[in-house]
Amino acid sequence: MLKYTFKGVGGGNDFQWCFSQVKGAIDEDVAEADIISTVEFNYSGELLATGDKGGRVVIFQREQESKNRPHSRGEYNVYSTFQSHEPEFDYLKSLEIEEKINKIRWLPQQNAAHSLLSTNDKTIKLWKISQRDKRAEGYNLKDEDGRLRDPFRITSLRVPVLLPMDRMVEASPRRIFANAHTYHINSISVNSDHETYLSADDLRVNLWHLEITDRSFNIVDIKPANMEELTEVITAAECHPHQCNVFVYSSSKGTIRLCDMRAAALCDRQSKFFEEPEDPSSRSFFSEIISSISDVKFSHSGRYMMTRDYLSVKVWDLNMENRPVETYQVHEYLRSKLCSLYENDCIFDKFECCWNGADSAIMTGSYNNFFRMFDRNTRRDVTLEASRENSKPRAILKARKVSTGGKRKKDEISVDSLDFNKKILHTAWHPKENVIAVAATNNLYIFQDKIN
Amino acid sequence: MEFKVEAHRIMSISLGKIYNSRVQRGGIKLHKNLLVSLVLRSARQVYLSDYYGGICLSAQQAREWCEGEYMASKQGKLVPGSTESLSESDEQSEVAVDKQEPRDVVESPAGLHVETQASGEQDSAENGVSDSGCSDIKTPEESPEATQTCEVASVVTAISSNCISAPSPSDPKEETETPTDCQTDNSESAEKHSYEPKAPQAYTNRKRTADDSELTDSPTKRTKLTSTSLPSTNDENKGETEEMDTSNVSSLITIFGSSFSGLLSNKEGEQPDSEAEDSDSGQICCDQMLKNLNPWSTAIVAF
Repeated sequence: MLKYTFKGVGGGNDFQWCFSQVKGAIDEDVAEADIISTVEFNYSGELLATGDKGGRVVIFQREQESKNRPHSRGEYNVYSTFQSHEPEFDYLKSLEIEEKINKIRWLPQQNAAHSLLSTNDKTIKLWKISQRDKRAEGYNLKDEDGRLRDPFRITSLRVPVLLPMDRMVEASPRRIFANAHTYHINSISVNSDHETYLSADDLRVNLWHLEITDRSFNIVDIKPANMEELTEVITAAECHPHQCNVFVYSSSKGTIRLCDMRAAALCDRQSKFFEEPEDPSSRSFFSEIISSISDVKFSHSGRYMMTRDYLSVKVWDLNMENRPVETYQVHEYLRSKLCSLYENDCIFDKFECCWNGADSAIMTGSYNNFFRMFDRNTRRDVTLEASRENSKPRAILKARKVSTGGKRKKDEISVDSLDFNKKILHTAWHPKENVIAVAATNNLYIFQDKIN
Repeated sequence: MEFKVEAHRIMSISLGKIYNSRVQRGGIKLHKNLLVSLVLRSARQVYLSDYYGGICLSAQQAREWCEGEYMASKQGKLVPGSTESLSESDEQSEVAVDKQEPRDVVESPAGLHVETQASGEQDSAENGVSDSGCSDIKTPEESPEATQTCEVASVVTAISSNCISAPSPSDPKEETETPTDCQTDNSESAEKHSYEPKAPQAYTNRKRTADDSELTDSPTKRTKLTSTSLPSTNDENKGETEEMDTSNVSSLITIFGSSFSGLLSNKEGEQPDSEAEDSDSGQICCDQMLKNLNPWSTAIVAF
């Protein structure tokens, strides 16, 4: 029986989620450019990056835990903001290329600077974010303001000293990977070799070297010779977290293909094919749409992968291709509303999903600013809401419930009252701790576990 | 019957989405359009299967045989063929067909020619076409015609993709700048699909004429939609836009049967090629079109 309390999800029995912060404008009028389109923690969890429809990237950094306030974990504050992509125009095809950031993926940190890949529909960029918080003073050959000193005036030598200065963070585009995709890029994924990464559009997957921008290897091409024969497109792709020769890509038909790059230069023939047979009893006009996979994510262990389609999340064991090992219903109550959701285009929403660091829980978004968490061990699930009303510091999040039957209990919300404009498509889970970032349109909510 | 109404509604919504995708920022989204086209197909199957449950099979077969003969003699001009074979069908269906034809003939002679090929391609991709209770159509077609239809098929692709990529194409000259892409596609499709488009085309036309007889109330809808959806008011552009759109109108009519005659104006047509657009061949092959214009006008004259 589903309990209203959400204890146990994501952690131990005493686990509870609390509000920590919210970023973004409170204004009711949402500017389209401010809508968050991707959220990603870096490898350590110290940095949290968001991309928006206006082509901007905002990076938050976690403050060091303060001894003065032991009960509040480090807060995330703005570290850097920059314009990653600008709108472009393809003159040959008379098409506008949106500046919306589709995905951000962090690169492993190799020195003091941080690097990330950000992509819009056509171009991937590698950004290096570096900070300076010290400056040297006391040069011999130049003044403090930089002017060269007259050599004859120099009578003594001194050693320059490093003095602290206001932290200055600058982001610079180090690589631009362009002109490799005819169709809209939907995924990028950094390989575990830390040298290569893949990018996927509707029909092709390309493999890049991080240092080389003028060419890439095409490793998957599902474009039919005759476009009229097109039946499926690639919807997401990801590299295996440990095996640098393995990657997966999902399709609009609800299938996942796992490929081994050692097998052939062009991985059109998959090594493994994951597909769950369709339940004929649930067939409708929209069966194909709702089976289209919107996101695929490997578990941190590399043993499982998770896929998100419109109504459910499925966990697959890489060793079993014929069906998922776990299926979680996200919002099954929408199944009877598919026609309306088709009319208002909501059925095309692409929800993402994510694992927690331990691979014991998964999270995904829904409508009405609800997001769902599933504990794989206890099989408990919870629905939480990201809203300004629950935005008091350290306020414990209350479990929400959508009533499906005729009777609506107190505190429940009926399906027809759901706000389908408030959708949570992008969520991220800190790689090591119980800290989650939830993007609700133009606001970014950060929730943490309550410290007992 | 409820299914039919629902299916019809879903079809019109889907067509609206395909049309709107033309003007969306960022270009046409292949994935979304593919999904919409799948829904469109499912809805159409339901809609038509309902209808064909009660149709007399023998009448259909006779009609299609006439079409096949005509096709053999006229280089695959299916529409004229279907018109000719309407001797036994209602006047209404003739009227419905003719309503479109003169308009198409005047503005886009290649359009109708092209449409039949497009319908063939579309049908060849569909599974449910032959499931609606009618026997398989295997009319004896000659391969040379089939090859030609394939050529035109890729022209349809090019035309529609041009429509999608440049809603108001203003200058045919521009389009001839990149003929290479189209040509490549032409040869590919010609090689691979010599036989497929033919049989389904006949079938589609049969369905179309049959449905024409039913839906004569649609003209009003069509007129209304036409006036609202023409984007360009410039006379020069309008002529060309209309030409593009009409050809697409015709192509989609053939593809989906005249149950769409009320819905279609300039909205559809992207559908068969929404998958083909924003691909490498985003430009029209004027050369190809011009080649096909001549045989078509000959056919018209013959009529």
